[in-house]
Amino acid sequence: MSFDLSLILDALPKMLMGIGLTFQLLILSGFLGLVLAILVMLMRISGTWWLSWPAQAYIYVLRGTPILVQIFIVYYGFPQLEFIRESFLWPVFRDPFGCAVVALTLNTAAYVSEILRGGVLGVDRGVLEAGEALGLSKSQRFIYLTTPIATRLALPAYGNDIISLLKSTALASTITLMEMTGIARTIVAQTYAPYEIFVSLAIVYMILTFLIQKLLARIERFLGRYTIRES
Amino acid sequence: MEALSGWWDDYFWGSVVVLQVFLASLVLMVIFGLIGAAAKLSSNRVAQKISGAYTVIFRGTPEILVILLLYFGSAITLTAIAQVFDPEIKFVDVPPFWAGTFAISLIVGSYATETFRGAFLGVKPGSIEAAYALGMSSVQVFFYVRVPEMWRLALPAFGNHMLSLVKDTALISIIGLNETLFVAKQAIATTGQPFTMYIVVGLIYLSVSTVITLTVMALEHYGNRHMRIAA
Repeated sequence: MSFDLSLILDALPKMLMGIGLTFQLLILSGFLGLVLAILVMLMRISGTWWLSWPAQAYIYVLRGTPILVQIFIVYYGFPQLEFIRESFLWPVFRDPFGCAVVALTLNTAAYVSEILRGGVLGVDRGVLEAGEALGLSKSQRFIYLTTPIATRLALPAYGNDIISLLKSTALASTITLMEMTGIARTIVAQTYAPYEIFVSLAIVYMILTFLIQKLLARIERFLGRYTIRES
Repeated sequence: MEALSGWWDDYFWGSVVVLQVFLASLVLMVIFGLIGAAAKLSSNRVAQKISGAYTVIFRGTPEILVILLLYFGSAITLTAIAQVFDPEIKFVDVPPFWAGTFAISLIVGSYATETFRGAFLGVKPGSIEAAYALGMSSVQVFFYVRVPEMWRLALPAFGNHMLSLVKDTALISIIGLNETLFVAKQAIATTGQPFTMYIVVGLIYLSVSTVITLTVMALEHYGNRHMRIAA
């Protein structure tokens, strides 16, 4: 048993070839997930039962089951259903990349919608009352008052969710996608050097996590710039 | 649905494995979390650094990578150790149950470290001072004052950690643990009905998470009984 440095130098560039796919999964499902999360959150807080109940059920199911099971249901399970094979969405579900994006989007949307709801509920009532007193309509209050404040409140928790989304993209390797973890598993199967390969890949992920955290901290500081008191 | 007949007992035993992993990893997770929190709160710089590294490493690495590393890595290490004593041994097999349980409790333990640390810091200094003034020893203060006050504070986040443990159990099927997802794979190979089989897995995990959520809610209700205003 030894730690083979040349093996790492050989394998690292190969694994980094998959970083593009990791980023594609992260950005695409992160963006789509955010859009879906806003939709689900609006349904959840709408106060209309036939909008809020489906949203609650969606959140409950998606947060109560493992993401790996969700990925398998989308990738292996959906092709069993005839109406999916015949629908216009079939090109998406036929492709492992499309399936991974769909599963990651659905999963992250459930978590993010609850984070956003926490942000919306955290907006100070006084601000909304002031808006009402100024004659702003309900939708104006939501767009000009609730949205900016809720964004700032939800951002720290949202950042954690982006990081767990990054970690979830590693699961795309289970449905044949060759992102970084997929490539690493192939190399380990060939060389049988799990320590060298997996540890160096873990460091790559940690660097990515660190960079995301730094970026989000900067955005947080920007959004909270007016809350800092000048001495 | 008729495809499911004959697989119910396999699913049952798969669920038993899920529960076994959950219980074993729950104990380990609490231990790792408490050690980590103790190290973070201690005045020893080295202990602080080590536990800081522990949380950064396990929160920044994808779960699947940790599981794969621990499974294949421990097999190699144990083989090397065994060969020192008996050169005849070709390969030491590590049970996926323990490699996986250990991996997920290390991961979730890193989150629990922060939860426990925060909860111990949330214990009111006045209570501790009062206990010392009454002549309690530091061990007594820990068990009669700190723990009863902190578990109530830690409970909401701790409930989420338990849900993470259950959901991470599905990942251990990747290294060959015969839990429900693994059962589903075998069932699909025979019946060719992936959607049905994976939906059953989803429902099993959903019911386990539901039971945990309800238990945590009941415990929170119990833990906050002195906070309620008498009607």
